[in-house]
This record gives sequence, structure tokens and C-alpha cells, in this order.
Amino acid sequence: MLRKSKRLWGDQAALKSSYDAVIIGGGLHGLAAAYFLARDHGIKNVAVIEKRFLGFGGSGRNTAIVRANQRTQQNVPLYKEALELWPILTKELDYNLMFFNCGNLNLMHSEAAMNTARMNVATAQFHGVESHLIDAKQCKELVPALNISKDITYPIFGAMYHPPGGILRHDAIVWGLAKGAAKHGVHLHQQTEVTGIGVENGKIVSVETDKGRIKTPRVLNAAGGYSAALSYQMLGIKLPISVLTIQAMVTQPLKPILDHVVSSGTYHAYANQTLKGEIATGAHMDAWPNYTTQTTAYYIKHQAEALSEMLPCLRGVKFMRHWGGLADMTPDMAPIMDGNNLIEGYYMDCGWGYFGFKSCAATGKYMAQFISSGNCPEMLKPFNLSRFEQNRLMGETAALVNYTPDN
Amino acid sequence: MALTLTCPVCGKRNGYEFRYGGEEKGPRPDEADLTPQAWCEYVHMNKCVAGIQKEWWCHKDGCGVWFTTHRNTTCNLEVDTPEAQS
Repeated sequence: MLRKSKRLWGDQAALKSSYDAVIIGGGLHGLAAAYFLARDHGIKNVAVIEKRFLGFGGSGRNTAIVRANQRTQQNVPLYKEALELWPILTKELDYNLMFFNCGNLNLMHSEAAMNTARMNVATAQFHGVESHLIDAKQCKELVPALNISKDITYPIFGAMYHPPGGILRHDAIVWGLAKGAAKHGVHLHQQTEVTGIGVENGKIVSVETDKGRIKTPRVLNAAGGYSAALSYQMLGIKLPISVLTIQAMVTQPLKPILDHVVSSGTYHAYANQTLKGEIATGAHMDAWPNYTTQTTAYYIKHQAEALSEMLPCLRGVKFMRHWGGLADMTPDMAPIMDGNNLIEGYYMDCGWGYFGFKSCAATGKYMAQFISSGNCPEMLKPFNLSRFEQNRLMGETAALVNYTPDN
Repeated sequence: MALTLTCPVCGKRNGYEFRYGGEEKGPRPDEADLTPQAWCEYVHMNKCVAGIQKEWWCHKDGCGVWFTTHRNTTCNLEVDTPEAQS
């Protein structure tokens, strides 16, 4: 290697034989939890175990959109806090996260959808999150490239406009949190695979890895798309999760035409223009669970059709890159954050589906509180695993819960 | 991603013609003495196997038949003889 610069998070430390906490998964949720554990709770003897490299999974595969206009009142405050944390973390981590709060425009394509948006806006306003309902003409004023004519498959009726949302450089937040965690003494072990979790008398005692055994009283499962398989294989705990591939792609770079995040649930497409000028756009999930991150022409066609109707100026623009990532979907589209109950010292932070990116900082902060005290903070209590047994699913989807893997 | 499934009626077809129906979890639990835990286990809980799993499919855009098959979730290929490979 000719490279003279050092890694932001220093050289990889040798794996110790014991840690106060072991975090499985070197993605955003794992790194954020490690960072806040070390910074705020004095638990600095922490290892983050990552099978591949930091940010290999969903952390580096999302479309970098952040927002706090979710549907239920249990969810909104968490995302609101995350949104408020980006500028603070930019300073604290001394790392430019390239947060661009350009605002999100969620397009609505029917009167029923407008009614749903009305409720979302009311929820947002109740929690002090800026969100407005606007009509098609106002959409056009905000995004002149938008096609508001009636002759497209799903004409635009209006939108939910959420000015504080936007985009955040996804790799920057991975590297920034890794740097911050390492500065506080956290050990980041890349290319280290967890092969088992040791439990004795209902308590966590160790984590087995391919580099050796680690004694620890606390484990956090923050393995993203792999968390449910890990939970079942290593601890026999089944989770209400289906793992689906979600594909995204970028076009060739263009001059600035889109200064808002535009998304449409009906077209199953969302798009934003990156600072490089590419239109980054994501699709709906593939409809069957799997662990590949393969991509298909099916979704290139799907995105091309959706974008060329919503934003006709993109017709003829070429896609440059196309990738897939894993989304661990729960039936109610809300995450599972629970722990210290089924097995003492075992915590889980999973089931984020495609919401893991926008929530990572705030979740890490509260998971760190949870792990250090053993008591679930109020903010995370609604996200317990037992809600599925109690049939108290959250209403993050506006439609009825249905039992398909991709709702 | 690409997927080809073998419908027992129509033969090998494109995966996008089918609707995934979940992991095979055995028969529906008996409603007598059914606990919320047992119902939740049957309805919501998944093993999320990274490997070969037995699962349900419906040939939605075809003959409409429901059937089970084995598929390797790490390479997205249907498997004929799961016992030999698992």
C-alpha cells in the first residue's frame, strides 16, 4: 500500500478475550450504539464485530434519505430526534456528514391518499415536526420538473411536504461514527464473523467468533438484514421478520434539476439528486425473501417507467449503477427494539426494514441507555417484541396489515 | 432478482408470476386451547433461513394453484432434492 494516510478509526486492535459489551454488526446502528455507550455511559470496553467491512450492508446501500414524517405517534419522535442530531453530530464527530435538508415531497395520487396525508401531517404537527399538505399546483412550484398533468398512469393530486427532511451522505455517517467510537476506545473488528452466542442459566456469557471466544455479559444484535437469521440460529429466538432485497440505482450526472426528495408510494419510486448531480432512485422491494443482493432488469424498467412519468425531463437519461441491499421487514413496518428479558444481557435492534438509515443516530443513543442500565427507555418501549403476541401492531402502513412479506 | 419456479401445473415459469406465501410452518394450529403465543408463532414468526427452506407459493398470474417448494435463499435457486444438499 502506497497510501500514507491512516484509517479514520486507527489500526484494528487485537481481539481481546473479554469485553463489557459486544455489538454484532458494524453498520450504522451498531456503530451508533457503540459511540453513545462509550461517550455517554462510560462503557468504553466495547467491541463491534463486523463480518465484512464497516458499512457493507444497508448502511452503504440506502438512498441516503432522512425524514421524520412517519405515521404513528410512537415513531415520529424518534425520527425527529434523529433529524435534529445530524447537525450536532457533524460538529461532535468533526466530520462533514453532508446533511442537506432540502425537504421531502411525498406525492399523493388519489383523494384517499390525500386523506391519509392529512392525518400524517396532523401527527407531525402534533409532535412539532414541520409538515404541510400541498396541492398539485404547489408541488409544481416547488419542483418545476414534476409532471402534474392528468394523462399519466397515476396523476398527482398533491403532496405531503416535509421541509426539515433531506439527504445525508451515508458513507460519511458510517465513517464519522466509526471515528467517534474508536476515539472513545471502542474496538472495531472487521472481517470477524460471529459464529455463536454463549448463554448459561439464562444469561449471556460469551460470543464465539472465527477469531476466538469473547467473554461478555452484554450482546447487541444489530446485524440488520442478517439479524433474524442470527437470532434464530444462535439463540433459537424467532422474529416476525422477512428479509427482502430492495434495489436502487443512479443515473448519469445531470445539471441541478431536483432540489427536493420526491417520493411516491403509488409509483413505488423515490428520487433525489445527489451533490454529484446523479439522480439516485430506489424501488419497491422484491417480493420474496432472500439473502442475495442481486439486481434485475425488471426494476430498471420499473424505475424508468415511474420516473419518466413523474419527471418527464428524465426520459432518455441513462442509469449508471444499480445495486441491491437487504431490508428486514416486520408485519407493521416498525422496528423491534427489546432486550434483557428473554435472555439476560441480550439486546436486539432489528426489523428496521428500510427505515434503519434515517433512525440510526437517535436509536443508537437510546439503545446505549438501554444496554448500560438494563432498563428500556420510555422512547423504545412501544417497539417491544411482545406487541405481536398481544396483536398490538403499529399502524405504520395506512392500509390494513396483510400477511405478505413485503408490507 | 431473477427467479424461476416450477409450478406443479404449468411447469417452469418466471418468478414474478408468483406470490410468495411464507415459510412452511406445518398445519394451522387447532383453535381449541390456542394461546396468543402459539398463534403469533404460526402467523408472524419466521426462521429466515440463510440456506434451503421449504416455502409456499401461489401461481397468481397463472393457474392459481398453491404449492410448496424448496429454495436456497442465499442464491435464489429452486432445489429439487433438499435432503441431499442441506
